[in-house]
Amino acid sequence: MGKPDAELDKERRAFIKKVLNGAIAGSLLLVIPMPIGAATEEIPEQIPGIRGEKWDMFNQRFAFIVDITRCIGCGSCCVADRREYNVPEGYYRTWVERYLKDFESEVYVDSPHGGLDGYQSPRTDIEVEVRDTFFVPKLCNMCKEPPCVQVCPVGATFKTPDGFVLMDPKRCVGCAYCIQACPYSSRFLNPNTRTAEKCTWCYHRVRKGLLPICVNVCPTGARKFGDLNDKNSEVYKLLHEHEVLTVLKKDMGTYPALYYKGLRREVV
Amino acid sequence: MKSSYNSHIKRIVLGLVVFAVLGFVGKIVMMPKSFGKYGPYRADAIDEEANREIRHGTNASCLSCHPHEANIHLAGLHKTISCEFCHGPYADHIKDGKVYGKLPVKTKEEIKVLCLRCHNKAIQARPGEVIKTIVMPEHLESQKVKVSHTCDQCHQVHAPLKYINRAKEITGIKEKS
Amino acid sequence: MDALNFVFPNDLHVHWSMMIVLYPYLTGLVDGSFIVAALYYVFGVKSLKPISRFSLVFALAFLSCAMFPLLMHLGRPERNQNMMITPSPTSAMSGAGFIFTVAIVLIGLIVLLVYRPTLVKLRLKTKGIMNILYRVLTMDSTNLSPESLELDRKIIKFLVAIGIPVATVLHGYVGFLFGGVKANPSWSTPLMPVIFLFSACVSGISALVLAYIVIKKLRNQPVDLACVRTCINILAGFFILAFSFEMLEVFSHSYLRTWYHHAVEGLLNGPLFYSFWVWQVGICSVLPLLLLGWLCLFKLKASVFKFFAATVSIILLLQVLLMRWNVVIGGQLMSKSTRGYTQFHPEWFDKEGIITVIVLMTLPFIVLFIMSKIFPLWLEEEKASS
Repeated sequence: MGKPDAELDKERRAFIKKVLNGAIAGSLLLVIPMPIGAATEEIPEQIPGIRGEKWDMFNQRFAFIVDITRCIGCGSCCVADRREYNVPEGYYRTWVERYLKDFESEVYVDSPHGGLDGYQSPRTDIEVEVRDTFFVPKLCNMCKEPPCVQVCPVGATFKTPDGFVLMDPKRCVGCAYCIQACPYSSRFLNPNTRTAEKCTWCYHRVRKGLLPICVNVCPTGARKFGDLNDKNSEVYKLLHEHEVLTVLKKDMGTYPALYYKGLRREVV
Repeated sequence: MKSSYNSHIKRIVLGLVVFAVLGFVGKIVMMPKSFGKYGPYRADAIDEEANREIRHGTNASCLSCHPHEANIHLAGLHKTISCEFCHGPYADHIKDGKVYGKLPVKTKEEIKVLCLRCHNKAIQARPGEVIKTIVMPEHLESQKVKVSHTCDQCHQVHAPLKYINRAKEITGIKEKS
Repeated sequence: MDALNFVFPNDLHVHWSMMIVLYPYLTGLVDGSFIVAALYYVFGVKSLKPISRFSLVFALAFLSCAMFPLLMHLGRPERNQNMMITPSPTSAMSGAGFIFTVAIVLIGLIVLLVYRPTLVKLRLKTKGIMNILYRVLTMDSTNLSPESLELDRKIIKFLVAIGIPVATVLHGYVGFLFGGVKANPSWSTPLMPVIFLFSACVSGISALVLAYIVIKKLRNQPVDLACVRTCINILAGFFILAFSFEMLEVFSHSYLRTWYHHAVEGLLNGPLFYSFWVWQVGICSVLPLLLLGWLCLFKLKASVFKFFAATVSIILLLQVLLMRWNVVIGGQLMSKSTRGYTQFHPEWFDKEGIITVIVLMTLPFIVLFIMSKIFPLWLEEEKASS
């Protein structure tokens, strides 16, 4: 029962050593300036095969998979996304919806504050027996035939050869046509820049071999992102095995690159 | 000078031609440089987006300078949680490789709110196989703990079962693994 | 019901507001008045002669102000030229700048050629700045020989003839702009350009009839009844077409009952119940249909006819405005979640607010007034002065 004193001593010494090392290293950092951009080069890459290679604009294929069976509605993705892009209040690049089904086949959906506060309390405005309930994260579907690109009058939103639908904030005139055209409501008009904006699957992170921030912070692995050219990636395996993967609003003919695993039929 | 019967038409046509030429020249002059490289958009915008400031790191970027927390965090069930979710983004802390701002450390009531964001069983949509959930204040009552206690008084926030397991080992409830 | 109402977080805000209701309204008025001019200059409907010139100047005045609602709406109006420098080949909206330029040049040229004899006479009679203005407008030519007038006549007919497809595209593209948005089930129908065009003609002709009757009344001058009767007959024809297509669209959704019908029906029977069924259909469509039938089919005393012609014109102008409101704003109230509706609150002092709407609706009339000092609106006045 209990550790012998010698062992505890050893552990204490090891602990103090570690803390001292940490403190010394930390204080050294205060003195020795690191080269600019050290941030990303120091961080180990999360998507293999991107760092150190020239970016092949024409042969990239990425996929994003959302696993409904693992989302716990913590809202970490929403918080991280808001902080990464300084998204203004009242608008969302990504959000999480909560679905509730009762025994009369009635479906109740809500998304208080886009799920930004996590779901801290159950719905107080309905008094029904819950038959099934789940969370659905939503973001840009990165359609292969994007209706937003089709309607933009000035070429301010476009599909790149590497499959990402991006925005050109210097060209956008703020007409809001793309916002009307998106069937998934992924877009909004930023009131500060008065131009349109949407989730970009963190293109700036992916280009440096890092995962999109919402995928990075998701604690349960409900959001997955990967390179389909890498046969060992989780998304490649999911897309090529016998998983049932669906997309939202398939009848719109937009061919999204965002897939859902475990999506229920009630989700629109 | 008397104008002929169609001189007004000739002048109108001349005016229209000048207008069209000016418009065409204006369009060429004002066309952005990288336009049309890959398609009907400004190709430089792709690189502009790729070079956007990265505000978050990953857990590895935090743990490389914080090895003490690293060892605790990576050994526990919370290893999948992002440091930056509770503490704030990397860019608010490190700029050009140097510490330039302090990230907040959460305190008692803040910790309780953060824990309950995920672990509150009252939200039935949380799958049991993915996360263990509890109901407050029943959880405290069942553990015979004062209901004014906050989560961090029993749980190490970076590795929530660390002290619990150690306590169980000490009291002999759990075999040392 | 409230608990069941779910709107996607980004759908709460209505992005296309009153400026986008006003823009199709203004271009619709241009289209409708141009149709009257076309009926006279191309199709030779002689009874329309009294308002032939008025309709052209009216169209030009409204077209000159048509772009202001759009500039007030854009988040970045200083970049509006991007639409003409780098227009997207797949976007209906990118045609806006080009179509507008072609239309205003065309109608401007038609006005100059139609008025050339009058303007030459005025140039010879005036001095100073007005003289310079008239010299510019007549291309500094005083030739009014029969050959030049014959050339003018042929060119006018040609220009007005190509003006018909130009005017059709000017307003039709707006209809297609809405009709081509598959994400919004209340907008995406092939009937949308047709509905927009026919209701545009209705609004333009009603505006002309009303303006004609009111201006003549204010100046204590007689109204040419044959002209007004022709206009009312044409108005009735266009309105029957417009209303039929509007109703066809609604009933088609309600009969086919495809996936999104419940959201569209919920919209029309819920938030839009009063503005659509009671006002647009009931008071402003069924009632004018009856009035138009009565005006067209029965012989009436001149004063009664004039009064009800003006009344029906006012009601129809309101109908077309309501139709634009219900389509533009009403269509956005329906969330893409298909599970709920958001709300629209018109502001007074917003850049797209009510005050702006009032100012932009008054502006074309001010322009019309200024133009009437340069281009005399009425043929009888010209004859009297020469």
